[in-house]
Amino acid sequence: MASVLGKVVSRGISTTRVASGQAAVSGHQDGWKLWRKLTFLVALPGVALCMLNVYLGLDDVEAHSAPPFVPYDYMRIRNKRFPWGDGQKSLFHNPHVNALPGGYEHTDEHH
Amino acid sequence: MSNFMNHPYHLVDKSPWPLLSAFSVMSLVTGLAKWFHTFNVSLVAFSLFATTLIMIQWWRDVVREGTYQGLHTIQVGVGLRWGMILFITSEVLFFMSFFWAFFHSSLAPAVELGSSWPPAGIKPFNPFQIPLLNTAILLASGVTVTWSHHALMQNNYTQGLQGLVATVFLGLYFTSLQALEYYEAPFSIADAVYGSTFFVATGFHGLHVIIGTAFLLVCLIRHMFNHFSSTHHFGFEAAAWYWHFVDVVWLFLFISIYWWGN
Repeated sequence: MASVLGKVVSRGISTTRVASGQAAVSGHQDGWKLWRKLTFLVALPGVALCMLNVYLGLDDVEAHSAPPFVPYDYMRIRNKRFPWGDGQKSLFHNPHVNALPGGYEHTDEHH
Repeated sequence: MSNFMNHPYHLVDKSPWPLLSAFSVMSLVTGLAKWFHTFNVSLVAFSLFATTLIMIQWWRDVVREGTYQGLHTIQVGVGLRWGMILFITSEVLFFMSFFWAFFHSSLAPAVELGSSWPPAGIKPFNPFQIPLLNTAILLASGVTVTWSHHALMQNNYTQGLQGLVATVFLGLYFTSLQALEYYEAPFSIADAVYGSTFFVATGFHGLHVIIGTAFLLVCLIRHMFNHFSSTHHFGFEAAAWYWHFVDVVWLFLFISIYWWGN
């Protein structure tokens, strides 16, 4: 029973491969043209639109500013130090928007 | 040793890589634990280097056996396909565990977090800024890899190359945008269970994007060396399958963590 199932599924896998080989010979010579059209007329314009959307959103000061520091006990957990540097900063630590357990680091510049 | 056999299977020559890779990955995870407990990075650094070298040599040997020695018959191909399918399935289950953790914490947020999701004090990303762009990039890369695949199947070398280059480029673009997001994030992995679930899930996804991009890059180089025929290019198909898997995982991440979890 299991071997029959195995044979059926295996044949399914190898036929898929052979079928795609036949596609190369039969008449679907230009399958790549369809996908290239989709790339340049749909996919990449979609990416460009999203890029524009991000660019226009860069001016939103509120969205890009640091949240106020509130010493919640479930934030800035340091049960064990990080295994690098002084062990207090996460791997992608950004002093502008990431407070340390005691609060934001004192920087000379205003954000 | 002759390549003649009266069966379609590949009885591989003796190789040091299976045993050595077992040692090096064991050493890698041991090194990770050692790094976290003693803050000494030497073992994990050495093991990462060794594992990389071993992977390169093992896969180099598979390419030699298949492309140069012709040992990959249709039957061998069936086995390779099963292998890749089962591997990707195991990866799906791997990610399911992180989605489980996310939904466990977010569906009924703990009272200590303010009974809200995101927890009080966490400022999440606007999903319709860079995360949406990343979605468009990965979806586009799925189209470009299909462009490349069809071109390969129709023996069009140049179009196959262009599609692959576009795909690798989009993969690199995604990775750089995510790295930027990670740096700009107003919360870290240590910020409540929100940070833990966010960075572990998206972090492992990002790692898989990097792996997938590397796999596609190897295919690109092999294509330039004319390793692929119109009917025989399983390495490319495996890379494309893996890439689509990476794309689907992102779609789930985007919808559940970035959008619903906002």
